[in-house]
Amino acid sequence: MNEEQGKSNINETIIKLEGLSKRFGYGDAASFALKNFDLEVKRGEFIMIMGPSGCGKTTLLNIIGLLDTATSGSYFLNDEPVNRISPRRQARLRAKKIGFIFQNFNLIPNLPIIENVALPLVYSGYHKTRRLIKASESLDRFNMKDKEYYLPFQLSGGQQQRAAIARAIVSHPEIILADEPTGNLDSKSSITVMDELKRIHSEGNTIIMVTHNPALTSYATRVINMLDGAIDTDIKTVKDSDLPVPIERKTPKKIFKSRKKTAKKSKKKGKK
Amino acid sequence: MALLFRTHYELAKSSLKRNRTRSFLTCLGISIGVASIVLILSLMGSISSLVSSQVSKIGSNLIVVRPSSTLSTVDSIVSELTTSTQYLKSNLTLKDVTTIKKIDNVAAVSPLAVSVNSLKGETDTTVPSATVVGTNPDFIKIQNLSLKNGTFLREDAETPTAVIGSKLAGTLFGTAEPIGKAITLLGQRFIIIGVLAEVDDPINFNNIDLDNAFFVCASALNKIDNSLQIQQINIRVENTGSIDDTASTIHESLTAAKSGDTNFTVLKGDEITHPAGSLLSIVSGILSLVAGISLIVGGIGIMNIMLVSVTERTHEIGIRKAIGATSGNIRFQFLIEALILSVIGGLMGLLLGYLLSFLLCLITPFNPFISWQILAITFGVSVLVGLIFGLYPAMKAAHKNPIYSLKFWA
Repeated sequence: MNEEQGKSNINETIIKLEGLSKRFGYGDAASFALKNFDLEVKRGEFIMIMGPSGCGKTTLLNIIGLLDTATSGSYFLNDEPVNRISPRRQARLRAKKIGFIFQNFNLIPNLPIIENVALPLVYSGYHKTRRLIKASESLDRFNMKDKEYYLPFQLSGGQQQRAAIARAIVSHPEIILADEPTGNLDSKSSITVMDELKRIHSEGNTIIMVTHNPALTSYATRVINMLDGAIDTDIKTVKDSDLPVPIERKTPKKIFKSRKKTAKKSKKKGKK
Repeated sequence: MALLFRTHYELAKSSLKRNRTRSFLTCLGISIGVASIVLILSLMGSISSLVSSQVSKIGSNLIVVRPSSTLSTVDSIVSELTTSTQYLKSNLTLKDVTTIKKIDNVAAVSPLAVSVNSLKGETDTTVPSATVVGTNPDFIKIQNLSLKNGTFLREDAETPTAVIGSKLAGTLFGTAEPIGKAITLLGQRFIIIGVLAEVDDPINFNNIDLDNAFFVCASALNKIDNSLQIQQINIRVENTGSIDDTASTIHESLTAAKSGDTNFTVLKGDEITHPAGSLLSIVSGILSLVAGISLIVGGIGIMNIMLVSVTERTHEIGIRKAIGATSGNIRFQFLIEALILSVIGGLMGLLLGYLLSFLLCLITPFNPFISWQILAITFGVSVLVGLIFGLYPAMKAAHKNPIYSLKFWA
């Protein structure tokens, strides 16, 4: 039964865009960054979005990341329509469900790395100690534990970007959005960062990444080419059924509960 | 909520620490405003406590009758001080003094007829405007005064006699031993029979500077000055416990004696210093308002610095919003920063204000006055300033668009 549940998880659609348009300017000056855009993203996909400058890649990422709203069309996140929700609710969803990775890392320069990583947890109501423990765990996954109390400028670009990835996954989001994460890095650091992204993808995370570099498409399970605010080509290199299964994260509470259940069952059996 | 507050407090603290000099200078603006308010309130407080200590020094067995109705409104207090109407309006007479004397529980009664006249000494020294007090022998008992030399006034004296304040004696005769010398007031010669011991409290409930006054019998004064007006009748009661009853009996019998005219007030205890106390609170209120202007300047300083800080940290605001901060979170963060600035400024101002008032008290006869009201006012005012002047920058920060903010590099 557990296997069946896992399989249904794979095919679960987490993002659905229908007829999405984004207009900038009015009247004669109006231009469309996105035109009638349709997209469906399944859990566990690693989507790479490519295309020339100004084709609407970043606008698409901003709308998916709930930083921007579309002019028309609908956007469902986990089957919930989110295109017309209040900015407050948008922010709440950003804190819980979305992790951002930027080209220029966007770490706050005067906060130590660990506090930068813990930042998303500030807005989802964690105590300071819990925040720092979680951030430390997250950094540990990227072999950055010894750099916890460094300030961002003391790290190399690759290290900063790995810290930024640690920040993106610290609150276990549904989707990770990356806007040219290797754009500011040399080729060696690019490979390290891409390997890290590949690793978190293989753990079942959904990643949508914008890039200019065609060499990186080998990491993706799906490559979308955009042109003038619409999809030009959409190639899936991995079958939906072969997408990585999300690793179930067992919290101590859950483990405790399941242990209690098994204990009860064995007691009943004993009575019989 | 409490958790969010603590988180924002930590954030604000670290960001203020980063700009120590700037934060300190901003606080200084507030602290100067607060210090001046503290200084004014503490000085006014010490003056009014000086006045009320006068009454407690004299004792709680004192009743004072004054003309005109209760002096509670601002207008009447101000008019009493700024015009001479009180001298003209008084309807108290020497007859009233005899009426009061007959009442039970009254130990001593003395009228107070204060006027300003020119006095002439034996040699041609004159004091053009001396305080002349027409009273009776009971005065010294009620006031607990002592004489440096000689005796106090006597009602049955054959020749007009007078008692003089020690400082006035010095001015008129150049000596503190003027007994037996004569002073001419309105053409009448008075022989000095006593000199008051120095009291040195220019502020008292009689509004008389005792050291610079000239005391004669009211009856004697009445003979040479037909327009004699009694401004106040001081009464000492025997039994303090029944002072309320005695006060109402005085009121009743005076009303009866004046055939229904109630244009006078009977005051006891704290009520006696009430006019002076309320005048002081008006003055200190007005002065505090003036000092409040400097607080507004300090508040503008906070607003200015917060606006700079918001602009500098636009990129940070963008990052915070991208990873899940709501506009409310951002607003709260900056508002708390402004509040911390103003509260620290307020505390600094409190210390500075008290330091200044202690220094000032070294050269004045006052003692510095500390009360929880002053602390509460100071704290309240500084929080208010932080809220008012921190709100606009905080709103500005909260309304920033995350996409544009992320592209912004200061």
